[in-house]
Amino acid sequence: MKLLLANHSSYPRIGGTRELQQLRRTIAAWERKEANDETLHAAQNALVHAAIKEQEEAGLDVLTDGLIRWYDPISHLAGKMDGIEISGLLRFFDTNSYFRQPVAKAEIQAKNGLTVSEFEFATTATQKPVKAVLTGPYTLARHTIAEHAPYKEIGPLTHAYAEVLAKEISALAARGCQIIQLDEPAILKHRADFPVLQRAVQFLSRHKGKAMLSLAVYFGDPQPLYERLQELPIDMLALDFTYNPKLVERVVALGAQKPLALGLVDGRNTRLEDAAKLAHLIDRILLRVKGEFCHLQPSCGLEYLPRDRAAAKLKLLQQVRAHLKGSK
Amino acid sequence: MSREKLLQLGLDLPLFPVTAVGSFPKPDYLLQGRSDFRKHKITADQLHKLEERATTFWIEQQEELGLDVLVDGEMYRGDMVAYFAENLPGFEQGGLVRSYGNRYYHKPIITGAVEWTRPMTVDWWKFAQNLTQKPVKGMLTGPYTIMDWSFNEHYPDRRATCLALAWVIRREVEALIEAGCKIIQVDEPAMSVRPEELPVLIEGLQAVTQGLSAYFITHACYGAFEHIYPDMLKAPVDNFDLEMSNSDLDMLDLFRKNPFTKDISFGVTDSHSHKIEDVATVRRRVEQALTVLPKEQIWLDPDCGLKTRSVEESIGKLRVIVEAAKSLRS
Repeated sequence: MKLLLANHSSYPRIGGTRELQQLRRTIAAWERKEANDETLHAAQNALVHAAIKEQEEAGLDVLTDGLIRWYDPISHLAGKMDGIEISGLLRFFDTNSYFRQPVAKAEIQAKNGLTVSEFEFATTATQKPVKAVLTGPYTLARHTIAEHAPYKEIGPLTHAYAEVLAKEISALAARGCQIIQLDEPAILKHRADFPVLQRAVQFLSRHKGKAMLSLAVYFGDPQPLYERLQELPIDMLALDFTYNPKLVERVVALGAQKPLALGLVDGRNTRLEDAAKLAHLIDRILLRVKGEFCHLQPSCGLEYLPRDRAAAKLKLLQQVRAHLKGSK
Repeated sequence: MSREKLLQLGLDLPLFPVTAVGSFPKPDYLLQGRSDFRKHKITADQLHKLEERATTFWIEQQEELGLDVLVDGEMYRGDMVAYFAENLPGFEQGGLVRSYGNRYYHKPIITGAVEWTRPMTVDWWKFAQNLTQKPVKGMLTGPYTIMDWSFNEHYPDRRATCLALAWVIRREVEALIEAGCKIIQVDEPAMSVRPEELPVLIEGLQAVTQGLSAYFITHACYGAFEHIYPDMLKAPVDNFDLEMSNSDLDMLDLFRKNPFTKDISFGVTDSHSHKIEDVATVRRRVEQALTVLPKEQIWLDPDCGLKTRSVEESIGKLRVIVEAAKSLRS
């Protein structure tokens, strides 16, 4: 069993130095129409390079582009679809950060690509595999106001988003993306909707080509759904272990039928975990997982931490792996 | 019941008392002053004078408009959690994290035992109260929200953090009461973020308020209240100040199923919209509230603090509320 180190998804887009504050200044200038699109893209590109560099320096095996260009996890994708208008701010789970809420006014359809160009840019910045991240159709639907009558029920709205995301997954796979992470935190708050998620994932999994499809659940306790999540047609299950201290024991007791991405490093708090203690937990979990590898990653995107702490969390992953007694 | 409590405290408020949630926009001279202070161009005393000038401006505005219960406008605060973190030993300033879009803030880090060493808001409350005969609310951030909006490197878990902060905030409440404050608002905008932790929030507010003689309000906004209602009514406060208009009054449906048993500061204007509602719109919202709530329970205010609006927008939104209240009383 091999333990690969991965970033979860987002990464802070600001830091203490002038260079790391350039994107904020550029966006402010762009909003005042004092900077053009080209200048904005250059600043975004620079921050993607910086995020990738920090992940490489931390010794990660699977990187992301840090979602540096995303306004938020919902409107960045939904806002690029026909039939959607973007509205006011709402709090995103319990993060004290906010997203702009989509309003489904008409039939949802793909317009242009969503993230392929972002993925392609990131691959030019590193030799390491880049994981593509997509907010899943159920979570998009849960955060959308459905004004279009056929979408009044969560099922049809989720499927409408899934149809667009299926095209995106196919496109990413066709560009050589090896791993696509589908983020579905909302299902942990609405467990009764699991059949809706299940149908969507079954549909999406048919479009992944040779890519590996990982489903990530976070911002809640996955234990009540753990066994059902195992049954989904996915290649990896990414879990947030920070909401339930007993989850490790549950996973050890039940085992895992597919590779896990172990979100044991808290992406929401600055306190650094004890590497040796985490390694002990991981040693126990890995014995119970079927497959050739697992990922160790933060519990969620790291943009909820200050940059220096986010970097420290990434470095911690390497320290944890060094303490493993079993697989490396 | 709560009206009786107000009378016992010597406060005889009219029907539909009009108040503000807490924050007002800082006038340009104060924004400039804060910027200059950060660059060491002016002294703390000079900044303080500007904060007093702005506080006086807002008290005068509220008096002129005819609000019934006033606020100091929080001219001396940057952020509702950071202000307390800056004044309480045990906190350190954290690095920048994103709030939304291109907005960032310094999220505090709890690195040691948090202690109350001196009043943080009492002098400002006294300053504001001395400017008016109307009651001025004491304005605090609640322990659950301070916990949720801070990083924690010291306490073992979220409950322990919340309760430690609750005893600190209680000391501030005691200091406000000792100074003569009779209406104290303990803001808990994070109230609904983890519905399973509602008992922790309630335990925290109990520690803050238990046995203390004041009329307590708590403000919450941006919430998923459908997950915590009606259990949230167990919170030991007299009045819930709730964002209602931004969500098209959809909480009224919850109140129909389970009666709302407290007083309510009913948000009748949207604090996140530049548009100033007309009096008829505000009246219509109150009339909808009256289909579910007894009039004696209803206070009127904007949905949320107004610090993100302009001075003119803020005054405009308060004016239509006061005019609607007057017409409803008559």
